Amino acid sequence: MNLGLKQLTRDLANLVGKENAHTDRPTALAYAKDTMPWDVEAHNIPYAVVRPADSRQVSAVLRYANQKKIPVHTHGSGTSLVGLGRPKTNAIVLDTARMQHLRIFPERGYFEVGPGMHLAKLRKALTAHSAMLPVFPGSEPVATIGGSISVNTSAHAVDATLCKPGDYVLGMEVVLPTGEILQTGTESTRRPAGIEATKFLVGSEGLLCVITGIRMRMIPKPRMTNIFALFECTEDILDTVMAMYREGIPTPLFFEYLDEKSSRVGFEAVGLTPPTGAVAMMSMSSATSAGCQEKAEIFLAFLHRQHPLEARIVTDADEWDKIWSSRAEAGNYVYRLGSTFGSEVTPRVDKLREAFKEAKEIILNLDSYKGNEFYSFGHIGAPTIHAYAFIPTKDIPNDIKKAITLEVREKTEALNIKYGGCGGEWGLTAQRAGFLEKKYGRAYYDLLVNLKKAVDPKNILNRGNLEGWM
Amino acid sequence: MKTDVTVRETLLREIAKCRSCRFCVDVCPTYQASEGVESVSAYGRLQIIKYLLTGVLAFDDPMTYCLYSCLLCRSCETVCKSKGQNLEICELILLGRTLLSGKLAQRGRNATI
Repeated sequence: MNLGLKQLTRDLANLVGKENAHTDRPTALAYAKDTMPWDVEAHNIPYAVVRPADSRQVSAVLRYANQKKIPVHTHGSGTSLVGLGRPKTNAIVLDTARMQHLRIFPERGYFEVGPGMHLAKLRKALTAHSAMLPVFPGSEPVATIGGSISVNTSAHAVDATLCKPGDYVLGMEVVLPTGEILQTGTESTRRPAGIEATKFLVGSEGLLCVITGIRMRMIPKPRMTNIFALFECTEDILDTVMAMYREGIPTPLFFEYLDEKSSRVGFEAVGLTPPTGAVAMMSMSSATSAGCQEKAEIFLAFLHRQHPLEARIVTDADEWDKIWSSRAEAGNYVYRLGSTFGSEVTPRVDKLREAFKEAKEIILNLDSYKGNEFYSFGHIGAPTIHAYAFIPTKDIPNDIKKAITLEVREKTEALNIKYGGCGGEWGLTAQRAGFLEKKYGRAYYDLLVNLKKAVDPKNILNRGNLEGWM
Repeated sequence: MKTDVTVRETLLREIAKCRSCRFCVDVCPTYQASEGVESVSAYGRLQIIKYLLTGVLAFDDPMTYCLYSCLLCRSCETVCKSKGQNLEICELILLGRTLLSGKLAQRGRNATI
């Protein structure tokens, strides 16, 4: 950076106000760390953190950054699981926390929200209007709507039931890396057909724009009926998912699983008798209770044909709360009691069983670490296999943590390539950038690079994520 | 009485357990009062103590402000217990303050860890 820190501080304070321009080192360091298990390195530490109030201030920061050739890294809540949240080069971090406006227009059928609003807060506000927010990550208390739309992730929900949040985005206000402010889409609940910018800006992972406003359709909150099933082994659940798609059975909104080990630790943690087998939990959704009940009965009859040890509709809300919480508790167990390295494999549905078998073999035969355990749970109905390498200690050197992360990433991405998937929750750049070229070829990757160059000629925004820097 | 070395080791060991889920950020009253500055959240404070102990960060006014602005309300601990790593965050911040205040008292702005 050809600029002194004092000058940078003065310039940024002029753009966003002194109280929203931070160049002190403690603040820079707090924004440098993300969920990746290894420590921040010198090149990750921001020069400054700015917290603009609106698109006008975002535009001013980006124009300034272009003029001074300083990279800008967008920060929502830093909860990405593939490293999107960590700056890959010394940069100005642009924190969206102050952009939290919310206007709900029931008479227009949509709401408008600032990117910095946390999902839990937004969900609460929408619930008052009997509307559902179509994003369900484990990081809901702190993850932002801007980050979710940037990655276009519905997280735990089954795509075949709910689609992606981008399918409900009617339009956006965005700021291009060069500072131009754009309004996209429509104020109608009818989304535009044909070429329209919203479609390629949603899910662009902060490479093409900074989202400063999101207009989303209100989705009537559905009724739910919940089903619990216990199978002898995880493979039986995989067979059930394959049969569900093959036979055209109505898909649940949520279809989660816990493998044999995860079931035991999860159930124990919530005070339920640990089961002997693998657990599946499903939530059927419909506009009415009667519709829900009918769908649940159809699904239950289907489940019984898959030879479970047990399958039933759960009507007791407290019991369901415990069953549902067991999945989060299984996650807490592996993350609390040791070091855990995750993956996201989303194979073609008819290849679920092969993909799971190979994912397990990969995790249990790592080159970078010997003696780890295998756990698996996740959104199998989507279908997503989360295969985890669990090491029951936190005391692992940084370089080993990095090596395990990269080995798990590379080898499970090879499964996505082999079995026709590409992930469905975590985004495709940062640690996964190499996967893009391997799966789709050089011409595809070059297309993305050229698209990036066209809107961001100086590569200002989120530099290093498309390049796969660490 | 614990030695500085023991305190340092305890702090680094416990902070290493944090998995950066950031669930403690939103519930922190000083984070809320600052309209969302993460360095004055529970998560930010743990990072700051870690970087101070590992020599990445030096004593300065912003660091001192971040560390001493914690109200010790324990909202972060409640959420860490249910959704995070079950860390006793306020105890760690207090331990960090105890360790640092001795150094600050001895050497003021020239203090080092």
